[in-house]
Amino acid sequence: MGLKDILKSSTFYEILQGMSVTGSYFVGEKVTVEYPKEQIPPFERFRGVQCLISDPETGELNCDACHICATICPSNCIFIESSEGPDGAKQLDSFVIDLTRCIFCGFCEEACPRAAIAMTSAFEFCTYNKNDLILTKDWLVENQKNLHKELRKR
Amino acid sequence: MAGHESHPTAPPKPRATPEEMRERKRLSRQRVSDDSEFITVSMGPQHPSTHGVYQAVVDLDGEIVVNTRPNIGNLHRGVEKLAEVKSYHRFLPLTDRLDYISSFAMNHAYAEAVEKLMDIEVPRRARYIRTIGDELCRLSNHLLWLGVHVMDFGAQTFFLICFRDREYVMDLWEMLCGARLTHSYARIGGVAADLPDGWVEKCRAAMEFMPRRLAEYQRLVEKNRIFLKRTVGIGIFTREDCVAWRVTGPSLRATGMERDLRKTEPYAAYDEVDFDVAVEYDADVYSRYLVRMKEMYESCRIILQCLDQLPEGDYINQDAPSQTFPRKKQVMRDSAAMVQDFMQTFRGPKVPKGEVYKAIEVPKGEMGVYIVSDGSSIPQRLHLVTPTFYHCQATPALFEGEMISDVVGIFGSVDIVLGDSDR
Repeated sequence: MGLKDILKSSTFYEILQGMSVTGSYFVGEKVTVEYPKEQIPPFERFRGVQCLISDPETGELNCDACHICATICPSNCIFIESSEGPDGAKQLDSFVIDLTRCIFCGFCEEACPRAAIAMTSAFEFCTYNKNDLILTKDWLVENQKNLHKELRKR
Repeated sequence: MAGHESHPTAPPKPRATPEEMRERKRLSRQRVSDDSEFITVSMGPQHPSTHGVYQAVVDLDGEIVVNTRPNIGNLHRGVEKLAEVKSYHRFLPLTDRLDYISSFAMNHAYAEAVEKLMDIEVPRRARYIRTIGDELCRLSNHLLWLGVHVMDFGAQTFFLICFRDREYVMDLWEMLCGARLTHSYARIGGVAADLPDGWVEKCRAAMEFMPRRLAEYQRLVEKNRIFLKRTVGIGIFTREDCVAWRVTGPSLRATGMERDLRKTEPYAAYDEVDFDVAVEYDADVYSRYLVRMKEMYESCRIILQCLDQLPEGDYINQDAPSQTFPRKKQVMRDSAAMVQDFMQTFRGPKVPKGEVYKAIEVPKGEMGVYIVSDGSSIPQRLHLVTPTFYHCQATPALFEGEMISDVVGIFGSVDIVLGDSDR
């Protein structure tokens, strides 16, 4: 051990070196945001709570009740009921998403051939009541307000 | 080989050789004779230092660990059984939940195995994207590991600094696939979507910036005498032990064994990029730290090379319509693609009979997927050979003869995620 090493070990050189890194953050720019007041907008592909897309002019849903989203869903959280409409076509009666089961994989959006269901930017859905997490058709149509991307028209 | 040999703050006691280690173990076993002197301590399952819900019931002779009974399974979800009722496509998001720190690597392992079973090609661009994804996972996994590992030794601030830089990788993932943790980005035959606009530039900027940050970590930690005293020569797990207990990944490479599936059995685009396998020779906690640190530099290097060489082309295989999903854009336009979409969803992929095993190098070690197929669209049996399970299994041998205060650090050093182990 030379003089240099003794000096280094007795002056806590390596601790001071580490502290200089820590100290440099006192003057640097801060990287955090104060979350509820300030929000970072999600990216375009963000997968939040689903919504059902309707035509902005007529208000009709894009959904044809083909059950493709309910079939591909890995956690079986989509429940669809359909009946025969007045013109003989399939008509969507109820569309329920059970958020307590949903794993937000985005497969429903990806499989849909009509762009009828989409993942939105909504991620704040804390609730005191579990029943609020069973999303009905009306809620999902209403949730279009959180849609943050352009979707291809059918 | 390690840089700390001549450092003045290195502990005065010479490091234990494997022979000495075995002698220490032998001596500690001798004390077992009179079991009235044991103190049995239960660590976990809710102990913060066990990195999850792992319980270790430790028998102590004074301060020395004599015997450990690991207890896993608190996070068991029956993933392997769930695979037997879901088609190959629908099982993919569940692989995210194995090692949730590096989800894409898990997706990748599963997709590689299924592709090997179906014998389909992955387009070159998709292979490059998968390589980038794997390395991003490795980076974020090691950053988290480093922060938590140093926090196990009592440094609080370092954890936050690591998390700040992990955020750059998380942002890249969110931009790429829409999720920060559970990516579900790989698909059978490729990946879910092409790289978005501006992603390559953002990724390149982050990867050029990351080595500077890594150097900062080294300045903060590597020569710190507290860190050195708690890591150098502690938790020696020799090459023979690693092989006997199937401990893989950085812990194995810290013993001097150059086993890295990225080099030995190249998959994705690893045979087209240039990188070094990080190896250390001391087999202690400090060596495992050094290996992971080197791997992070190598990850940045691999990603930059992939971005430079990124080829044009498809992101998902278009030549196997009975096995893969069509591209989303085509489904809207083309009726044949729509039929393919419906067939894949309602009937599932067409799979030959047979069985297949494929292992890839995930950040924690070797992840293998073993599939037995009876020719239907759901696997007859799917077994996941996850690294953490074997790391947990090795804990009795790892802890034996060590001090109780070192147990937390040693356990952290082999890198554990309990979702991976319990499945």
